[in-house]
Amino acid sequence: MNKKAISLMVRAVIAGAMISCAGLASATVYTQCPGDLNADGDNTDAGEDSTVKCMHLSGGDGYIKMADDRPMYMFGFGNMTGIPDSQVMSEGVLSAEFPAPSISLKQGQPFYLTLSNTGMVMRPDLFDPHTVHFHGFPNASSVFDGLPDTAIAINMGASLTYYYNVQDPGTYMYHCHVEATEHMQMGMLGNLYVHPNQDGTPIEYPAASGRVYDKFVYNDGDGSTGYDVEVPIQIGSFDSRFHDASEGVQPLPFAEMEDNYPMMNGRGYPDTTIAGPLASVDSYLDAGIPFKPARQTQKVDTHIEATQGQKILLRLSNLNVTRFYSLNTLGIPMQVVGMGAKQHIGPDGKKLYYKTNSVTLGGGEAIDVLLDTADVAAGKYYLYTGNLNYLSNGDEDFGGMMTEIIVN
Amino acid sequence: MKLLRSFAALTSALVLTATSLTVQAEIMGIEGTTTDGHQKTFNLEAAAAAISTPDGDNLLIWAYGDLDNAATEVQYPGPTIIVHEGDAVTINLTNTDIGEPVSMVFPGMQNVAAVVSNDLGVNGSADRVVLTEEASIGETVTYSFTASKPGTYLYHSGSNPDLQVEMGLSGALIVRPATNPDSQAYNNADSAYDHEYLYFLTEMDTSIHQAVDLGLQPDTSNYHAVLWFMNGRNGPDTMFDHNVAWMPHQPYGSLTRMHPGEKVLLRIIGAGHDMHPLHTHGNHFLQIARDGQVLTSDPANAATVGADLAFGDYTQQVLPGATYDAIFEWTGRNMGWDIYGHTDGSGALCNGVETASDSTDPVSFEDCRYHNVPIPVDLPENLDLTFGGFYSGSPYLGSMESLPPGEGGLNLNGGLFFMWHSHTEKELVNNDIFPGGMMTMLIVEPPGVPIP
Repeated sequence: MNKKAISLMVRAVIAGAMISCAGLASATVYTQCPGDLNADGDNTDAGEDSTVKCMHLSGGDGYIKMADDRPMYMFGFGNMTGIPDSQVMSEGVLSAEFPAPSISLKQGQPFYLTLSNTGMVMRPDLFDPHTVHFHGFPNASSVFDGLPDTAIAINMGASLTYYYNVQDPGTYMYHCHVEATEHMQMGMLGNLYVHPNQDGTPIEYPAASGRVYDKFVYNDGDGSTGYDVEVPIQIGSFDSRFHDASEGVQPLPFAEMEDNYPMMNGRGYPDTTIAGPLASVDSYLDAGIPFKPARQTQKVDTHIEATQGQKILLRLSNLNVTRFYSLNTLGIPMQVVGMGAKQHIGPDGKKLYYKTNSVTLGGGEAIDVLLDTADVAAGKYYLYTGNLNYLSNGDEDFGGMMTEIIVN
Repeated sequence: MKLLRSFAALTSALVLTATSLTVQAEIMGIEGTTTDGHQKTFNLEAAAAAISTPDGDNLLIWAYGDLDNAATEVQYPGPTIIVHEGDAVTINLTNTDIGEPVSMVFPGMQNVAAVVSNDLGVNGSADRVVLTEEASIGETVTYSFTASKPGTYLYHSGSNPDLQVEMGLSGALIVRPATNPDSQAYNNADSAYDHEYLYFLTEMDTSIHQAVDLGLQPDTSNYHAVLWFMNGRNGPDTMFDHNVAWMPHQPYGSLTRMHPGEKVLLRIIGAGHDMHPLHTHGNHFLQIARDGQVLTSDPANAATVGADLAFGDYTQQVLPGATYDAIFEWTGRNMGWDIYGHTDGSGALCNGVETASDSTDPVSFEDCRYHNVPIPVDLPENLDLTFGGFYSGSPYLGSMESLPPGEGGLNLNGGLFFMWHSHTEKELVNNDIFPGGMMTMLIVEPPGVPIP
């Protein structure tokens, strides 16, 4: 019997023990969503009142496929919104996505986010709780901050509903904060952004230019953050040695952690040029891993496409845990209009916007940039990391943190 | 899971210590000696010592110490030097036992004079980087300058700095403004604060310290940090009070405390080799100055124009050698529920009235629009939860609820705790052991709880 088969057998035994233990607890999946009439965690079915926004995430483990066709074990969040509570523990098995399901909010719409801990099936030795940290949420309460040390975290088989009165537009991010170095290196990270009240009000900018916008990054009052095309891009990177150690139930190399798979929205170039979800990783996984056939776990693309004359908003954020990255554009300057979910203006409204060809983000930083295609020729441009050694996928010296910008 | 619990266990005594001493200023430092209130003299030394780190290690450091106070030891970081705008500052640095010549440089200060007062004729070798006059063992070098501009500054060794700064020879220099020196960072009114704290960020590569300890040639070119510090301590030691007896060479804590509605001045210094993204849980901050320069469109009239180029963010990019001043506030505004947990019929007032109103309470800073509004969701049963040591048992500010045996216990006043930390989460580790590293806590204390 080979090592992998033994490992799978041991897992099966431990998992069986875990399930019999779980029967003793009172834990249950339980969504709280005002307006939801059929206990499926959303309020968007026929006849339901969808005044407030609801989402339901699983917290657990799963797999994605790297751009060099290597499957990667990870921890993450999956999207359980609309799945009946009673089916979430089974549907949540290996449901982790990378990046986590994007959370798109609107200023003024209260947000009910339920997190159900569906357990780490490939690591039945772990009993880790999970949380959601809404990174950057202003005037936060600690109970909904997701920091396990200062509040509460949800155990396996149970649900915790977070409540946010969303009033400040901008680009945020979210991640699990339990054993943050480990759970974040393992991939519990996602995009989160809030659209402003000013959306829907046409504003011409600059005045008398004939360019009218009805989507904005912030409530700017003058249309200066107006855009036509919105692409949230979260950069990050994995250390495959850390992930392999986790999958193999080995001691984790914290001090030696060094990321070797740089990504945008959970994919390396050239996968970054594919619009829509990536194909399922299932055909790359060993038989015996209970992965739902054809399940897609890399759904957030980095496809940037606009018609000449449009403005592109890139909501750039960084949630890797090991280093700073620069992002550069080739051929189209970036105009920085926001940082850290704040319009980049002084206290009296002075605009601090600036144009640049590179921005540098550490973990937990976000920058809103506008790309104006009015003055550039139609064609293909690039967004890529200026840390050029990260244009790679593992040992493959081609790819990494890079995507294309298509101007038609 | 086990790691989470060990974090709580490690920190079990600290909040008790931190809240029981009330006599210390929030930024510890030395103000020197003076005869006329304007000439400030500091007598410092540089010597070797050992620090302890929470992973159980013990590291050789080289550090500055205050010779004017016999009770103090050399320390990491060096003593925070606090002077006032316009002071004529003299610093006498004696090399007590660093095995090579040592010095100090003061980035941001101008016209710094440097003189060796008792030249013993021993000099360093020619192939070291030397940025100023230095003192060999037994020598004293004197630096003098006028602290002409208020702000937050860094000082560090200018001798063989790639090794000596890594070994611990760095510290903070604070120049208080002429206007309201005890409540403003600069002469502009929008730098006013209620509390001020220092966040001095460094890291260490233990192999360099071990090599020096063994008398081997250290290799600073292949730098690989495995320890990350805030004010010279690694988490969770960062949250202990200043001057705890068991860390004689690491006297500075960084536990941060405030009441709702108060302004906290963050003096942030990037004193190590690496860049660190410092994330403030709880709220955004407003960055008002960089490297001792107010972010203003009119530097000549900054006192009246103010920091009109200040900007908000929730993660401060802290670069090596740079300093930042930021103002942080927290009120719980827009929470959508009553952060104090008031209930209908309890008679509790918000801005003088029992019912919700579109106003803010001037004392508690409660957002009165949500007065008496309960938390909008049911929290799970205790069995379904893992509790943090800093949780009061209640989501409400100023309230405590019972927790299962062994849970919580580190929150004395029902405050809200928020972690402030490097968001390069790899740096929340002490040499392979999570949790720790470059982190501390903010406590938003209920109104009325004394804060020194």
